[in-house]
Amino acid sequence: MNVMRLKIRVLALVPSFVFCFLLAVWGVFAQEQTILIKNGTLVPVVGNQISNGSILLENGKIAEIGTDITAPSDAYVIDAQGKFIYPGMVALMTSIGVTGYPGAGNDQNEVGVSTPHMDPYDALNPEDSTIEVTRMGGVTTVHTTSGSRNVFNGKSVVINLEGNLAPEMLLKPYAAQIFNIGARQTNRYPSTLPGTASLIRDKLNNAVLYAEKLKKEKAKENQKDKKADKSKETSSPFKRDLEMEALVPVVSGKVPALFLTSNEVTIRNALNIIREYKLKAIIQAGEGIQKYADQLAAAKIPLIWAGTTIVPNRWQPFDFYYCMAGKLAQKGVLFTFAQGGFGSGSHGVRNLPVPAALSVAHGLPEAEAIRALTINAAKILGIDDKVGSLEVGKLANVVIWSGSPIQMRSRVETVIIAGKIIPMTSVQTRLRNKFDKIVRDRLNRKGKKK
Amino acid sequence: MGKKFAIFILALSFAALSGSAQDMALKGCTILTITKGVIENGTIVIQSGRITAVGQNVEIPAGVKVLDISGKYVMPGIIDTHVHYALTGMADVNEATNPVTPQIWMKEALVPDHDSILKVLAGGVTTVKTMHGSANVIGGVNVTIKMKYGSPINEMIVSDARPQLKMALGENPKRLYGQSKGQTPSTRMGNAYVARKAFIEAQEYKAKWDKYEKEKAAGKKDLTPPKIDLGMETLKQVLEKKIAVDCHAYRADEMVWLINFCKEFGIDLIQISHCIDGYKVADILAEAGVSYGGWVDAWGFKEEAYDNCPWGFKLMHDAGVNIVVNTDSVSPGTSRYLNVDVAKVLKYNDLPDTEVLKMITLNAAKALEMSHRVGSLETGKDGDLAVFDKYPLDSTSKCLMTLIEGKIYFDYQKDSITATAKGEMK
Repeated sequence: MNVMRLKIRVLALVPSFVFCFLLAVWGVFAQEQTILIKNGTLVPVVGNQISNGSILLENGKIAEIGTDITAPSDAYVIDAQGKFIYPGMVALMTSIGVTGYPGAGNDQNEVGVSTPHMDPYDALNPEDSTIEVTRMGGVTTVHTTSGSRNVFNGKSVVINLEGNLAPEMLLKPYAAQIFNIGARQTNRYPSTLPGTASLIRDKLNNAVLYAEKLKKEKAKENQKDKKADKSKETSSPFKRDLEMEALVPVVSGKVPALFLTSNEVTIRNALNIIREYKLKAIIQAGEGIQKYADQLAAAKIPLIWAGTTIVPNRWQPFDFYYCMAGKLAQKGVLFTFAQGGFGSGSHGVRNLPVPAALSVAHGLPEAEAIRALTINAAKILGIDDKVGSLEVGKLANVVIWSGSPIQMRSRVETVIIAGKIIPMTSVQTRLRNKFDKIVRDRLNRKGKKK
Repeated sequence: MGKKFAIFILALSFAALSGSAQDMALKGCTILTITKGVIENGTIVIQSGRITAVGQNVEIPAGVKVLDISGKYVMPGIIDTHVHYALTGMADVNEATNPVTPQIWMKEALVPDHDSILKVLAGGVTTVKTMHGSANVIGGVNVTIKMKYGSPINEMIVSDARPQLKMALGENPKRLYGQSKGQTPSTRMGNAYVARKAFIEAQEYKAKWDKYEKEKAAGKKDLTPPKIDLGMETLKQVLEKKIAVDCHAYRADEMVWLINFCKEFGIDLIQISHCIDGYKVADILAEAGVSYGGWVDAWGFKEEAYDNCPWGFKLMHDAGVNIVVNTDSVSPGTSRYLNVDVAKVLKYNDLPDTEVLKMITLNAAKALEMSHRVGSLETGKDGDLAVFDKYPLDSTSKCLMTLIEGKIYFDYQKDSITATAKGEMK
């Protein structure tokens, strides 16, 4: 009997041994640890490039940068000889985490003209297949939005592309409210551009009033607390309005209003509204930007430049938009690129370097392009204290590349997010592994037959 | 008005420039021949529209204009085998009123001085196949054109290569007819049935005509010719292999079905467009001699586009597939920077650079049955080439000049905003 029990006990231990072994194998992955990357060309983005550079990552953060760092005994050491060490790229205006499978899986664009209270964090799915695919392209942080079809679309959040649960991924809640000033509605108000501008003003006016009401209500609550007299309820209870609540931080200048524009008119209307309501703002623009670059620079309004791959009209030379980023940089506009190149929605975010490369070919200095994809994007989102460059104290979002990120042929060798080494697997590598075997087996069989 | 006038004058001078064929030699450049390696400090001579010499020690004949382009790179003109531009507009891309419309010929919507042609010339593109859309299981007959902006239409259309009929399987015809109109096809079964029914009718139509022609040749009197059906005329030519087929298919199961279907009816299937799942059946594509015609890494924009695998190119290459990277450009989009797009193949696959450049040149020429004329820089081939300031697979390179049959159709110095300050930002 005792022997039996012992056997059972020993047998019961086997799975845990296997488990421990697996842990040891997988230990290097998805676990925050001390990592030293050495001997690489280090491009910190802020500050000079360091050849033969090293970077020490501890507790999920950048602990040291230099040329001669001694690895702590417990450090996992990566030799980056001949490689390039960059901060992870930061992508704005994505739907990563809420993309889902086409059809019912998609959780962007709630029905309605004004849905500022929608929050993509409430739908954030850490299993979204675009997460793995995007980070394998060197993008480590994204700005995920509630959509773009409505005039007021909702909140947007910043997430790191690592984590099993939504809270682990969240870097910044309510990073911006998304306005689509060109979202004309079919068969309902507003169906014109003057209409959308008017609706925005209406709602912002209401939000200003609501903010005042909220303030008074809070003051009243405080007084009540002081008197400690809760028996005599004189006024009617305060009725919360979630739509207005979402706009209060916008009208009080705490959360930026991100205006999606599509032409000269929508840029102009957005700039007017921003000025009238003293909004903290971000503008996404393509067409029409050439007339407003100076204004953006003067008013320090950052830009999501989405126009590189627009096809110029017949009166414009072929490189009208290819050249624009270079000119924006010259004029001192703080800008980043919108996801570009071929692909669709968030599935194409890994191609963020495409518009950057086209812009560099047509006059934008490469260093500016890299800044646009990293630190500028972080600044626009107000997260430059955490990501966007390789600086001591920032999050350890580090990517090792075989070459410059703006060269399409450059490969992403290693991705580290918040100090965790990311397994280089995605739905696409799984397909590769499966079908590489199947097809090569079939080819071998056919070869033998012959 | 002034601006428009200036453009008009420019267009006139442009037309004058492009109108005159001139024998030309480009020298001092790195020549990416595609078929015969890379020639450093080379010279390429074009006479009467054809390449007459390529090499390092080439004697330039008298009377040939010499352009010294030292330090620049020359590659064959880029070919895009799947586009929808240079047409009257999107309204004329899909005859979406019936799932079978082979009577449609895309050349009847062609606009030879469409601005999209100028925009893609600036990316080194010299030949495209502009296609019917994917609404119908059997769409229209595509048209292959050289980007000879403003030339008479018959000079643009490539007439010595077989025309290709567009077919489409999968979600698009299902959605357009099944979901939107409640008619067949609403399933992949329906797609298969529609295609089969049409080609069986075509076989019967062909048999009727063959019988008539035979009897007529035998001198039989009082014959009434069968009634002409324009759609069936096209399909008859497909059965006679006078027209080939380019079929839109995303899923591997559809590709296998398609290949078997074409075998059954004796249809020459040249290219599978979009071909997202091509890598899953790479050996089968290779065996059937069908070209992969698709993107590098576009995925996820619809259900059937979910299985893209950008690592699949090495597998397809090893299996012997003729790989063509094309764009499906409408606006004209990615067609304008195919050299940047195709470089992404190298991000995911260990392949020689030349094999990747082939995907937008020689392999594309093969998929158009034009490799005897274009796709590589060799003596006897058309003088279609693109000059780049840097190595074209460098993503920061740009096209400086595009020549078709020895004529300059794009010149950076004359056409760019940087060089001319046209439309300069205020």
